Amino acid sequence: MNMMVGLEVHQQLATERKMYCDCPTNYQDVPPNTNVCPICTGMPGSKPLSPNEKAVDAAIELALMLGCKVVVDKPTYIQRKHYDYPDLPSGYQRTSLPIAVDGELQGVRIREVHLEEDPGQYDPTIGSVDFNRSGVPLVEIVTEPDMRSPEDARRFLRQLIRVLEFTGKVRPEAGGAMRTDVNISLEGGARVEVKNINSVKGAYKALKFEITRQKAKLGRGEAVVRETRAYLESQMITTSMRLKEMEEDYRYIPDPDIFPLVIDDAKVQNIREQMVEPPHLREQRLVEQYGIQQAAANVIVSERKFADLFEEVAKEVDPKLAAMWFRTKLKKVLNYMKLSAADIEFTPKQLITLLQMIQHHKVTPEQGELVLRELVKKPADPKELVQRLGLERIEWEDLELAVKEAIRRNQKAVKDYLAGRKEALNFIAGKVMELTGGRADPREILKLLRAELLKKS
Amino acid sequence: MAEERQKEIERSAEEIVESFVKAAEGLPSEREMYYSQEAYNVVRPDGKPSSSEERTEFRKRFIKIMPAKDEDGNLRVEVAKWVK
Amino acid sequence: MTKAKLDQLRSGELSPVENVRRALERISKLNPKINAFIEVNNDVVAQAEALERKLKRGKRAGKLAGLAIGIKSNINVNGLRATCASRTLEDYVAAYDAEVVKRVLAEDGIIIGVNNMDEFACGSSGETSAFGVTDNPAAPGRIPGGSSSGGGAAIAAGMCDLCLGTDTGGSIRNPASHCGVVGVKPTYGLVPRQGLIDLGMSLDQIGPIASDVYGAALLLEVIAGKNQNECVMLDVPKVSYADKLDGADIKGMKIGVSPQFSEITDSAVMDVIDKSIETLGDLGAEIVDVELPHIEEAMPAYYLIVSVEFFSATRKFDGRKYGKRIEDVCGDEVLRRILRGRYISQKEYRGKYYQRALQVRTIIRRELMAALEKVDVIVGPTVPKLPHKLGTKLTPMEMYAYDYLTIPANLAGICGGVVKAGKVNGIPVGLQVQGMVLGEEQVLRVMRAFEAVS
Repeated sequence: MNMMVGLEVHQQLATERKMYCDCPTNYQDVPPNTNVCPICTGMPGSKPLSPNEKAVDAAIELALMLGCKVVVDKPTYIQRKHYDYPDLPSGYQRTSLPIAVDGELQGVRIREVHLEEDPGQYDPTIGSVDFNRSGVPLVEIVTEPDMRSPEDARRFLRQLIRVLEFTGKVRPEAGGAMRTDVNISLEGGARVEVKNINSVKGAYKALKFEITRQKAKLGRGEAVVRETRAYLESQMITTSMRLKEMEEDYRYIPDPDIFPLVIDDAKVQNIREQMVEPPHLREQRLVEQYGIQQAAANVIVSERKFADLFEEVAKEVDPKLAAMWFRTKLKKVLNYMKLSAADIEFTPKQLITLLQMIQHHKVTPEQGELVLRELVKKPADPKELVQRLGLERIEWEDLELAVKEAIRRNQKAVKDYLAGRKEALNFIAGKVMELTGGRADPREILKLLRAELLKKS
Repeated sequence: MAEERQKEIERSAEEIVESFVKAAEGLPSEREMYYSQEAYNVVRPDGKPSSSEERTEFRKRFIKIMPAKDEDGNLRVEVAKWVK
Repeated sequence: MTKAKLDQLRSGELSPVENVRRALERISKLNPKINAFIEVNNDVVAQAEALERKLKRGKRAGKLAGLAIGIKSNINVNGLRATCASRTLEDYVAAYDAEVVKRVLAEDGIIIGVNNMDEFACGSSGETSAFGVTDNPAAPGRIPGGSSSGGGAAIAAGMCDLCLGTDTGGSIRNPASHCGVVGVKPTYGLVPRQGLIDLGMSLDQIGPIASDVYGAALLLEVIAGKNQNECVMLDVPKVSYADKLDGADIKGMKIGVSPQFSEITDSAVMDVIDKSIETLGDLGAEIVDVELPHIEEAMPAYYLIVSVEFFSATRKFDGRKYGKRIEDVCGDEVLRRILRGRYISQKEYRGKYYQRALQVRTIIRRELMAALEKVDVIVGPTVPKLPHKLGTKLTPMEMYAYDYLTIPANLAGICGGVVKAGKVNGIPVGLQVQGMVLGEEQVLRVMRAFEAVS
């Protein structure tokens, strides 16, 4: 089925003060209507403070992250967008003209990025409003309708979240810091907008429901009506909001109480220089610069510090080996111990030493993993750890002796193997492992065993 | 009655609009003057937010004048029409 | 008079408590007929007593120490009702102090009560308040002007020492002229608007109404100056005007007069103004002709702009957080402006109406700026006609016509003041003095020089 899906993503920015007043932004931590003042509650006569500079800069940075062109040398007015809703204390929302346009992420075009303020929190089922959230800075990211399925949308949103969180300039996702409106039209039909979506899962479910609903309508011979619907999370359905047509004209005017912003090239350059490399771009660079696999690079950039550590290590260790270790064993250990890369206490030098030992076959990969675990638990010089754990790689002659010994002691298994039962080999290999105290590479054990047993057959 | 009054007022509201259109007829196009002064990028730094002491008084008064409220301090308003 | 009273208060000849009691007495006696006050502050005597104690302890007396001050009902005074003379906010007890109120209190001014006004400042007569019309003490039975009707009347009747009014299209200067008192509309952006309930955000200014130029200058310097907690303000630190008024001398000053004024104004009014201009010439000023060819177009442009801004400003009056939904309870003119604003700000009409009006605004501003390059101030009538009798039915257009001469200053953002020039059949006529952006000093000097000889 031919469909076009576009998203309008509202993302809260990580600032301490609200956009147009100095109230705190930690709206979830306090009782209702506590982080409020005459400005963010729309009291008669209240006037906004000048815009929060950190929010403005963050919006520019996020736009650059998404490959957008920042609008420079033109007045970017903060406008009043008028509509009637209980969570909007002044009856209008302050929203800027686009501060950037024409970006792209994962094949989806970004139409524009602009600054907004969050309205309060309205519970439409009970009819209660809490203005703690009113005035928290938001950035709105509008895409072109380039997505073709709920899966596309889900994939895009997940990637978008990663990119945004990577900057450190947005509030973490938990608890509605990111909200999405989805726009969908099927087979060139009317565009339906679905609001009130607070999660990636919600966006996916809302789209799936809409497709079902609209297909059913078309199946009955009815046309799909252009409308705004609300997503109801608990039931995973969308329902018509029946907004009056009048509301569609927001009667935008530049806010007379706020001077316009004019962004210049110097500012954009400044922000660009201080910016953290976005993960999707860093991923590409790692693949190209270090010749590692896409999948590994993808895991590595999942956390900025993880990627930083990788690049440090890749200076002195074979990058492909390092990438493999980062992607599998190190990630595994961190996950198991419920640590993030930021929690790592060992030094890059220590990890480099370990990986060099592996690279030069001084320890087996399995031994290396044991050492790694210790390293994460309590940092120490890997060479010492290897000694302490008794993990020095066994000498070749000793291994040969051990293999011969194991064969001598396990004649029945040898007979089984020679009779065609391959699994008997593993049994004998296990015995060799015992004899060598785990200091031999299992692959080498098997190789030697096969060679020895071949002589016997 | 109320509708009649509104219609009457709407009608009388138009007079000055028409008068303006006539008055502006011969005048050239210009830049629009939105603000009395040319000022840009008046922004304020982020930082320590207002303290809870500063806000307690206002919170009390704000909640006091609410037409409807609950015991937690939420404002009570209408239930959304589209809620089932 | 203001200076004399301040001297009395400072010397101890008159105590703040006594001053306040006298004011309360006058209000109680006269307000039932004049209706200049919507609410009297019950706490004033206690505040005056506290001030006295403070002064006895040797603390520095503020510039307004002991003076009784009325505040227009669209300015938030914590604890008093800021009703905007409308049923919409009739029970709204202000939850915070406007910045200007903070400044008045910081200089030991005593806020005696809340002044009546035209509803939501949408008027030029003082007849549209939901709490009854205000009478003109200087011309009883006639309108006091508006929208700061209560302020003008209170000063004219001696009910208090100073008042704060607001001026969007003439709402301080108009009542000052009709009531025969002094009023000043400051340069846009000089006085903070935090706490002023909007009529037109790009036009509103709070300013003083007083019985003399000194009083107006003093109150103005208290409230003027940059407010960090506001975006759209001029970057001006504290200013002082009152101490520069002594021996105000206008010799050599260039005073502009526009022939367009006589075209718009009734001859009876213009006669008084012409005489005043002669007086200024006699005082040594040079009278210069200035052209303001499009001054008449300012009025309709203004009404389009203010309607759009007022529509926007009133969206918060939805009755959910406080007060009532404005469209449900407001008067005709308020509704007229809301509906007009709503209509012309629609997407398809914006260019034709709102934006076009803002273009005309540019033209008006340019003309005034050009004129003020040639002269120090522009002088002329405040209102084109005499105040009508209370109860006379006027069409909206006839009412708007009062604003022809005051609106240009608001559109351009410049300053303007009014001082009593004379009378016609006992009805006061005010002389308007307009000055450059931040030209308050020159304006006040001309006003003072004129006042001293009239």
